[in-house]
This record gives sequence, C-alpha cells and structure tokens, in this order.
Amino acid sequence: MDIFVALAAAGVIAFAAVSAYGPESGPVTAVLKGRDGEWVYPLSTDREVRVAGPLGDTVVEIRGKAVRIVASPCPNKTCIAAGAIDRPGQWLACLPNQVFVSVEGRRSDGGIDASAY
Amino acid sequence: MAASMPPRTDARQKTYADITALLGAFCFFLSALEYMVPKPLPFMRLGIANLPILLAADLLPLTWYLALALVKVFGMSVISGSLFSYVALFSLAGTLTAALAMWLARRIFGRLISAVGVSILGAVLSNAVQMGIASLVVFGDAVRLIAPPFLAAGLATGALLGVFAELFAGRSTWYARAMDETHG
Repeated sequence: MDIFVALAAAGVIAFAAVSAYGPESGPVTAVLKGRDGEWVYPLSTDREVRVAGPLGDTVVEIRGKAVRIVASPCPNKTCIAAGAIDRPGQWLACLPNQVFVSVEGRRSDGGIDASAY
Repeated sequence: MAASMPPRTDARQKTYADITALLGAFCFFLSALEYMVPKPLPFMRLGIANLPILLAADLLPLTWYLALALVKVFGMSVISGSLFSYVALFSLAGTLTAALAMWLARRIFGRLISAVGVSILGAVLSNAVQMGIASLVVFGDAVRLIAPPFLAAGLATGALLGVFAELFAGRSTWYARAMDETHG
C-alpha cells in the first residue's frame, strides 16, 4: 500500500508538472496578479509597480530582466525572501496580500548557448 | 464499591483525553520549531507539526482525532500569526482533510499501510486541498505553476516524516503503553 500511495502521489505531481511546464509561446513577460486584476509587463524594461492587496501595496521591481518583490505589508515577508525570478514557470507569491507574480512566455533552450564537437 | 470504580468507558475516555492533550502540546511545540525554519517559498513547510497527528492515527477514535487536528491548526495559526486571517482557512481545510484521510487509511488498510504511506497520503492531500482553495480564493489559474513543486515537496517531507514516525512508534515505550491503554 505504501508503494501504491507513493506512486499515485508521483503520478499526480507528474501530471501537474506537465500541465504547468508545457510549451508556451510569445515573448518572456512578467505577469502580476493582484486583487484588482492582472498586469503583464515585458521583462526587458526596468520599472517598479505597486500592486494593491487587502493589506496594502506590494512593490514589485522589474530590473535587469528579472522580477522581485522589494516591499510588502505582509507579516512574514516570505515573498521578499524568495528573491528574483527570471525564467518562465518561476513564480513569487504573497498569500496574505493576495499577490502573485510569475514569469511566462517562451522557454529558452535549456540554457545552453552553444556547443562544439 | 461500584460507585467508587469508574466504568471502563470513562477510564478509556480519560486516556483519550490525556493522549490528545499531550500530543496537542507537542503540536504547539513543533509548530514553533517549524516557524523557526526559513521557508524558501510560500506554502513550503516541513510539516513536522503533523507528527503527533500521524502517531495518533492508531491511538484515538475519530472524534478525539479530529479534536487533535483542530488543536494543531489552532497552535500553528497562533504561532505563525495567521489565526484571524483567511490564511488560517488553508491550514484548517488542509489539516482536516488530511487527518480524515489518514485515519480512514489506517482503519481500512490496517497493517497493509505503514506510517510512511499514511504520511505521504496526508501530506500530498493536504497540499492538494490548499492548492484547490488557493485557486478558488486568490490565485486562480496561476496555481498550476505553484502545484508541481508544492506537491513534490509534500511527497518528500511526507515520506521523511513517515519514516521518523515508524521508527518512533517502534522504539517509544510511551507509544507502546498508549497502544496498550487504548487497545487493551
């Protein structure tokens, strides 16, 4: 039974991973979700965005093709501690202030720029 | 003579209450330990506060077992400061669903399933329920990005906690005595 439970769990995880990290298209963008809506910004332009939540404003910074949360009114600041994200599929979340930040768009080819034989 | 000897069922209820109180106190203590460990991402928890609930699956009847789960949710929420915020709902729904599933798994499969299987079942189910609520209440479709690492973490921490619980149950004299008192 132990093995059955573990395999079932692994199956659910594999399904979740496939549906989350499937092929995407379009340029790489930062998607900011807050209580009042969703905003999409290109990663290529530096800017600072304030996203309103029930506790106050979460400050999101886009700089050097990466996104991070630099200020948040939540108690534990886990969202700030998570650091910067820059690859599609990565995300930051602040549960207390209901803010979700993710990078979406085309995946780079595994991070290898060139290879030679 | 008969009046001075409490009926057997009363003594059993007292044993259940004692075990629930002791394990509930451990939930508080382990929640405090859990809180000290930095979280790399929101939602990611070691789940060590679930150890008493895992151990209690063989000791307590359902009502006492769910009472223990509620004590754990209360302790966790008080210590993490989320008691009066909607974040406590995640803990409540996840813990109660997992507790119910773990208790049933032990009753239905008995010795066919060890603490490892019960623990993985509880951890992954608890995380899945929390993802479901996160999807409904706040993050919507974005939950698909959160789910894979969160569920995988549940599988890993659930398995580790299960191994620990299995070792503990095998060696603890307190656990052996509690088993005797609740099953004798």
